Amino acid sequence: MNIKEPIVSLNKVNFSYGQQSVLQDIDLSVFPGDFIGIIGPNGSGKTTLLKLISGILRPQSGNIQLFNQDISMISRKKLAKIISVVPQDSFVTYNYKVKEIVFMGRIPYINQWQGETISDYRISRNAMKKTDSFCHAEKGIHQISGGEMQRVYIARALAQSPKILMLDEFASHLDLNYKYEMIRILKDTLREEVNCIISVFHDLNLASFCANRLILLDKGKIEISGTPQQVINNENIKKVYRSKAHIIQHPELAIPQVIM
Amino acid sequence: MKYLPEKNNKNLYGYPNWRYKAFFVLIFGFLSILIVGFIGLNFGTISIQPEKILSIFWHHETDNSLGLIIWELRIPRLIMAMLTGMTLAGVGGAFQGILRNPLADPYILGVSAGAALGACTGIALQYTTGLYLMNFLPVFALVGSFVSILMVYLLSRKKSHLPMTDLLLAGVAVNFFFSALITLLLAVSNREIHSMIFWLMGDLSNANWQKISLVTLPVFMGSFLLIFSSLELNAMALGEEEALHLGIQTEKLRLKIFLIGSIMIAVVVSFTGLIGFVGLVIPHIARLLVGPDHRIMLPVSALIGAAFLIICDTIARTILAPTEIPIGAITAIIGAPLFIHLLKRRNDNNEY
Repeated sequence: MNIKEPIVSLNKVNFSYGQQSVLQDIDLSVFPGDFIGIIGPNGSGKTTLLKLISGILRPQSGNIQLFNQDISMISRKKLAKIISVVPQDSFVTYNYKVKEIVFMGRIPYINQWQGETISDYRISRNAMKKTDSFCHAEKGIHQISGGEMQRVYIARALAQSPKILMLDEFASHLDLNYKYEMIRILKDTLREEVNCIISVFHDLNLASFCANRLILLDKGKIEISGTPQQVINNENIKKVYRSKAHIIQHPELAIPQVIM
Repeated sequence: MKYLPEKNNKNLYGYPNWRYKAFFVLIFGFLSILIVGFIGLNFGTISIQPEKILSIFWHHETDNSLGLIIWELRIPRLIMAMLTGMTLAGVGGAFQGILRNPLADPYILGVSAGAALGACTGIALQYTTGLYLMNFLPVFALVGSFVSILMVYLLSRKKSHLPMTDLLLAGVAVNFFFSALITLLLAVSNREIHSMIFWLMGDLSNANWQKISLVTLPVFMGSFLLIFSSLELNAMALGEEEALHLGIQTEKLRLKIFLIGSIMIAVVVSFTGLIGFVGLVIPHIARLLVGPDHRIMLPVSALIGAAFLIICDTIARTILAPTEIPIGAITAIIGAPLFIHLLKRRNDNNEY
């Protein structure tokens, strides 16, 4: 496969809820190995962009291609085998066991007549092992903490054997140790399992720490995209967030960090 | 073949073989229904000894009065109770799953109110016109319930979508509207009010083989289709968008469950009246017992519902014999404390 072939490409994508335009003229290409961070102020269209790429919403104009195939031509079931999404926070209605939640990631692969196979169980178990959630396998999803739940959702997403992993503000309310843990899991995943990761970030420092390419959205348009160094600087932050900020260099890594 | 290669059959990478579990649970459920049913046959206005019942079964006696009581009264009633309990509890479980709402019951989407209005209209017509309509009440009820299903569908539909909140709200609105009409009917009626109230509280005393033959096919076909959707119902617990991300067409699924469930309920309720409580609480009891996985929970819920309604009906027709108590009252009187006990135990153990 040509390494320069984009996995995801958006061309002149426009989206609006009714009269209200949310995203305008979005062009974006995601290549294998990319960890894309989508950042921007509240209401700038971050989550909408995520929903467009994951096929929940359809653009009014422009096209979205996954592996050179128009997303509207891909069936839901097939899409579920390509993309999996880790939600920001989601409430599970009934108290399923963690292992049952992770196993649900296999649903797109299960033939209704034949039922699941042993490999579905194996993949689910491996997904739990990779995300250190196997120790909670027998617990109810309502019995574990928020940080543990995030890992379970990632395990569920990995059980889906996706090519593209998408996350919505994954670690914003987690403690520091959980954040490091999650970043490690995601980087491992990107190296071993998925072709690319696309994540919405609320926390600019986390975004700069994780992603190799950032997309800064402002009022539904891409303000700038590039490496964290290119995107996170005084000028851009001031322009988009309309507030002052101090940008310093991370003492060990060559990435910018924003402090108040 | 699928399970053979690695490890043993019982432990599949930490996942139990749910098919075994389902198999044993189902066998156990069927046996309990048989036992409960057999015990139920003994009781009634006249009690019949178990040996006598066995001999009636064995010789297929229908030429004496006891034989007739067993074959033409008690067994049809028993089977009707079983089918009704199955349907109410099964559909209740499926609705709770698809609406992501533990307070949902089979009546929440309006079917029952339509059926009740239909039946009450039939009863009122009988008394005002003098025609004998008692045998046609199920037809009235069925028409009423289909009107309400159609109303709920049309009210909640947005283009090709059937949003969850709209469906729920339309169901509740139709329920209230039809209930108001029923209240109106009750207010202006006098002699017929007793039949209406009995119908509204559920009544299995008219069960016969003909009715059973009409109910059986829709109930079993519907149950099969619901159980067939159970993996998708599991995914719905994660949330609407999560289910979409798992490749499930949630709109289609919701429409499917709504229509299948409502039709099943319409058919059953038209013959039995509104038996409450079963469809709300039995699914919760099933979840407490076997967990929320719909693949096991739905059949278990149906089986418990069947056994539970057989017990309740036995009590309803014996406790004040020869007077009958409406079965709907019994289901709640027995069911509510039982449910609270289970809920309490769950909170103590921090499970479920």
